[in-house]
Amino acid sequence: MAATKGESSALAQLAQAALALPILALPVKAGAAEVGEIGFTLLGYKERGLMKITEPVLWGRAQFLESWEVQASAAIDIISGASPRLVTNASGKPVQTLTGASVEDRRNTSDVKLTKHFGDFSLAGSMAYSDEQDYNSKAFGIEGRLDVNQRNTTLIAGFGSSKDHVGSTDDPTLDKPRDTKEYLVGVTQVLSPTALVSSTIAWARGEGYYNDPYKLTFTFFPTGGPLLVPDVRPDHRNTVAWLTRFRNHVPSLKGTLQADYRYYSDDWGIRAHTLEVIDERWSIRPALRYYTQGAADFYSPTVTRPPATVHSSDQRLSAFGGLSPSLRVILRVDDRLTVEGTLGYVQNAANFHLGGSGNEAFETLRAGYGLIGVTYAF
Amino acid sequence: MKFLALLALAAFATACAPVAPYQRAFLARDDMALDGNPGYMRAIEKTYSAKEAASGGAAVGGGGCGCN
Repeated sequence: MAATKGESSALAQLAQAALALPILALPVKAGAAEVGEIGFTLLGYKERGLMKITEPVLWGRAQFLESWEVQASAAIDIISGASPRLVTNASGKPVQTLTGASVEDRRNTSDVKLTKHFGDFSLAGSMAYSDEQDYNSKAFGIEGRLDVNQRNTTLIAGFGSSKDHVGSTDDPTLDKPRDTKEYLVGVTQVLSPTALVSSTIAWARGEGYYNDPYKLTFTFFPTGGPLLVPDVRPDHRNTVAWLTRFRNHVPSLKGTLQADYRYYSDDWGIRAHTLEVIDERWSIRPALRYYTQGAADFYSPTVTRPPATVHSSDQRLSAFGGLSPSLRVILRVDDRLTVEGTLGYVQNAANFHLGGSGNEAFETLRAGYGLIGVTYAF
Repeated sequence: MKFLALLALAAFATACAPVAPYQRAFLARDDMALDGNPGYMRAIEKTYSAKEAASGGAAVGGGGCGCN
């Protein structure tokens, strides 16, 4: 059902606001003359037997001087627990061995994005910073958007660059660079008064240090002594991620279907598919996310003799799949205040891999998370 | 693969009849937004990308992390 000029005043206000906005501008709520939002989100994530993460996020976005828009966020990741460190076949088959002592880490991260609108064209610049004990990242991006076809189509192009430094708490002398250049093109298309689709492709070209300095593989052989080898990955990584997002509102059901699909490929040999389907209705949002990936060319839970020049037993580079259901409840207290909560479960397992079993050595990951959030519009 | 992707993107722009501005009330709803709540998106994306090999696709210029 299409909205018309003759509908309720709230809907008319919303339509007028939409008139002035490009497709992907700030969300507009009926009856609120807002120019910005500020919000706080708290994430709690816990893996069974492994890591625990608490992450408070403070964010805000606003329009000012009619044609400017700013968005910024800051977050702290507080990480503790045990991390898989060694893969060994000492017991007969390869299994992960956890760190003896609890890992404690804290990551401070922030970003800001400034957008200037020039009629149907907008230009945005962004910066991001992330710092933790053994990893530092600085990134910037520039993105242009052009509305064409009576603002039914938005063309997107972007470029980004990040400079990272990898360290290790085990080896204070380790300080290795990793540089990445990213390119993005995409289009968002209004399909009907209730549906739109967006598709973006991002290419990344990375060079530098990709090894995980904490990962080791310890392999026993039928004859001869065992081998203990560090994680050694290629010194470059070229990736392609193609993300397509579809939104369809069904007025008679007061519900919106959100479907996101991403195809990912890189020159490490990994191919991955991610599908997430969300049905948001009456402020309750059940979602189901499915993920599957193939193994990197150099992944193996054991080493060969002599060891290969590149090798990793990190199970995040193996073949596996993941299922993650979640339920989000959104309570709009009034025109300005929104409170929401999400509960989700993550299970990654070898037998969730699409098209047959994944790597046998993959140890099933079970995790739960909860999110609470408050948003105030002004 | 890349050629097919670009072809598909171009097809979006030409395949649909224009929707007039006054017909866009539903398109402006919160739940029609592509990226949603920034705090939620930020927290949840990090949760997945720390445990999977794939990431990205929506934007450029984000910072990395040494994910445990």
